[in-house]
Amino acid sequence: MNTLPQQLANGLLLGSMYGLIAIGYTMVYGIVQLINFAHGEIFMTGAFGALTVYFYVLPDGTTMWAAVPLMLIGGAIVAILVAVGAERFAYRPLRQAPRLAPLITAIGLSLALQEVVRNFYPGADKARAFPSLDTTHDIGSVTIKDADIFLILAAVVCMASLAVFVRRSRTGRAMQATAQDPDTAQLMGIDTNRIIVIAFAIGGFFAAVAAVAYGLKYGNVDYRMGFLMGLKAFTAAVLGGIGNIYGAMLGGIVLGIAETLASAYIDEIPGMQQLGGQSWANVWAFCLLILVLLFRPQGLLGERVADRA
Amino acid sequence: MTETTKTPPADPTPAPAPHGLIPLPPAAARALLLLGSVATAASAFLAWTWTAEFPGDLTITGYPGGLQWLTFTAGVLTALLTLASYGIRGLGWLLPARNNAPLVLTAIGGFAVTWFTVIAISAELGGLANLEPGGWIAAIASLIPLIGAFALPQDGNTTDGGKEALKAYIAKPDRIPAPTPTAPWIQRAAITAVTALGLGVFTYGIDTEYGELFVGYLIVVVFTVWALHTAGLLDRFSHLIAGNRSFTLAMGFLAAIAFPFTQTNDHYANIGVNILIFGTVALGLNIVVGLAGLLDLGYVAFLGVGAYTAALVSGSEFSKFSGVQFPFWAAALTGAAASLVFGVLIGAPTLRLRGDYLAIVTLGFGEIFRIAVNNMDGDSGPDITNGPNGIPAIPDLDFFGFDFGETHDLGGFTLGRFANYYLLMVLIMAIVVLVYTRAADSRIGRSWIAIREDETAATAMGINGFRVKLIAFALGAALAGLAGTVSAHVTYSVVPTPYQFAGSTPPNSAFLLAAVVLGGMGTVAGPLLGAALLYLLPEKLVFLQDKSLLAFGIALILLMRFRPEGIIANRRRQLEFHETGQLDVPQQTTLTDEPAVTKAGA
Repeated sequence: MNTLPQQLANGLLLGSMYGLIAIGYTMVYGIVQLINFAHGEIFMTGAFGALTVYFYVLPDGTTMWAAVPLMLIGGAIVAILVAVGAERFAYRPLRQAPRLAPLITAIGLSLALQEVVRNFYPGADKARAFPSLDTTHDIGSVTIKDADIFLILAAVVCMASLAVFVRRSRTGRAMQATAQDPDTAQLMGIDTNRIIVIAFAIGGFFAAVAAVAYGLKYGNVDYRMGFLMGLKAFTAAVLGGIGNIYGAMLGGIVLGIAETLASAYIDEIPGMQQLGGQSWANVWAFCLLILVLLFRPQGLLGERVADRA
Repeated sequence: MTETTKTPPADPTPAPAPHGLIPLPPAAARALLLLGSVATAASAFLAWTWTAEFPGDLTITGYPGGLQWLTFTAGVLTALLTLASYGIRGLGWLLPARNNAPLVLTAIGGFAVTWFTVIAISAELGGLANLEPGGWIAAIASLIPLIGAFALPQDGNTTDGGKEALKAYIAKPDRIPAPTPTAPWIQRAAITAVTALGLGVFTYGIDTEYGELFVGYLIVVVFTVWALHTAGLLDRFSHLIAGNRSFTLAMGFLAAIAFPFTQTNDHYANIGVNILIFGTVALGLNIVVGLAGLLDLGYVAFLGVGAYTAALVSGSEFSKFSGVQFPFWAAALTGAAASLVFGVLIGAPTLRLRGDYLAIVTLGFGEIFRIAVNNMDGDSGPDITNGPNGIPAIPDLDFFGFDFGETHDLGGFTLGRFANYYLLMVLIMAIVVLVYTRAADSRIGRSWIAIREDETAATAMGINGFRVKLIAFALGAALAGLAGTVSAHVTYSVVPTPYQFAGSTPPNSAFLLAAVVLGGMGTVAGPLLGAALLYLLPEKLVFLQDKSLLAFGIALILLMRFRPEGIIANRRRQLEFHETGQLDVPQQTTLTDEPAVTKAGA
């Protein structure tokens, strides 16, 4: 049986998730030139926020139709609070500092968030079960779950609304102006601090959507889930051209498909029999990043920008 | 420009009353300090609690134990400084500026360590009833110098109240009188004495047997060093070092070599060798981060490459090449070369780009390294590293019949297995320090610093940025690989788990980076100090257990917020982080009429 369509679908789904998280990296980077390493952990806290709503707020036996939107809201509130809090208390005081300082702060923040969840969230030192949507549907030779439908719908709706927001709304245009030149934008009357907070909040919201989709799809969440997902999402953002929101989504999808195809088919190449499978998927994703940096450092959709030293 | 029109600051208000926050005449304050500190030191000889259950046995009158010695030390220091402030002949060198901040700081130190002990006793044994009268006396006695200290007038300008008034107490005076010139042999004697003292203090820290003692030790050391800093003695000492650089370096290495001879238990030599490995790798990372300004988040992977290479050619029967046994020099070179190759492979594509990419690629590389060695077990990957089981049974080194695994007797001292490796690591560290200092002072080192400060300008000055950065990155990788080859032999086996981004025990990439940043980027002593601290803290403070990483993360955030240049600040770094208008801060020196543009949104 031809497994290619199924693998492509898997890659597309995984890639949409990367893309949703990558939005957070790319928007923040586009405006303040900061790699928010803690973004993977914001994704993780979003998942735990949603989990809290499901297990500790909603009554038992709530149908998933009602539960999922409420979980989304809960996860989004937590993730946005964490993201905005990080900006306000960790990054903003360092905005004039040399580049190394906020990066190291971000590492500290990422460790602290992981450890807070591990130490203080009940049962979070091991993987915690997350309500999953497992009903499967067959479309041709492709089998997908309800969770996958949720993920695709969420990704499309989020991306479309973000595109409209950035292009049409006043705040969105202010955002573009700030990304282009913060000093001039401020002289034009834009409250750049507010714009930066909004960029962090949007990133947090998208991460929360991805987190709920992750939980529904895989059925469990743990405190370390943000690290690798964050790393891959950043790879996706670079792949698509950092600073470009469409690039982030495209990069995510390309990365997801490449990774899935590599782990499914690379062992059929003579001499690489043992390098297939899920355990090597991360290695191939990373090799893709190196190749992109080597041949197209500005990313798929990025423009060649002068190095702002 | 309102400053020019202002009248010169002829202050019409009467001079502030010559007392501090607590209204007492200075003479009384000083007397309180002296009497209180002597009483504090004396109270260490009393029994503080009734049972030996509290570690260190604080029950015997006339014989201080553990934490009581620390209280005693702090009391004596305060008393000495107070005597110096009275102008007693022979002690004047302790307080060159005659300022009060050192007195305040040592008084706080004595108070903190005593009260910490008393509170720890009551908390651990369950209630204040466990304090003997001696404990109460100590608590009250240590409070007296504190009162005295805050009754002293502040050194600085203290018309503001509140926070500023408190800050003025611990401020370092701007001007420290220059030392009178001394004969070279006195200078060398002073350096020798300080080195010996440093070795003693450091050894005491490593040998602390329980967490409470280590906390007390840290309290006393921090406040004492701070006090010496405000007294201006640290500045004087660094002048002394600058004048006798090679002598100091030699003394430092002598002290490092002397450490295992002071140890009777090989366990502490083990801690010593691990600190050295950690410190050596941190120093290698310092070339990359501190000098060249490249953020490497997967540095521990290079240590891992070195360790695995050494393990593969060590002759271990579990190695894939079990028949091969390289002599150590060849294994060390192979390990360093393997790391170098990986460094170039990772660095070449990424160093052409902006620095942020390097951070993420090295982070990815670190993670990939761990995943790859985990998978190369023959089942889910090629059979090279035995997967999660790693390569055990690495034989001990043997130099010309000197077996590192055996205990040797050397002139009455017994050197255990770890002490042998410790001495080897001192040698390797000497090589790394040599490479570091020679490189930093060379043409290439200055290019690194130029690149770090401003890459565009450096390139315009004719520096080949990519080449220089690649050299820094590859050199750092090779040094880590070299340290890795020794660490493989010290730990008997190599397994994938230590080579991760963040874990609760060093070395891992986050701890390495933190050691460099905490100690002070771009200095030699900084990363070594940072490595020692970051190794000892989780080792000694076992009660933190799984909260240690949380504390670590928060500490990293706070460090970047409040002292980004680290404990031992490189002068250039310090100016860079705190825009003091001395190096390159044009917007501060406003000579124009227009108001300065706020850069808040940048």
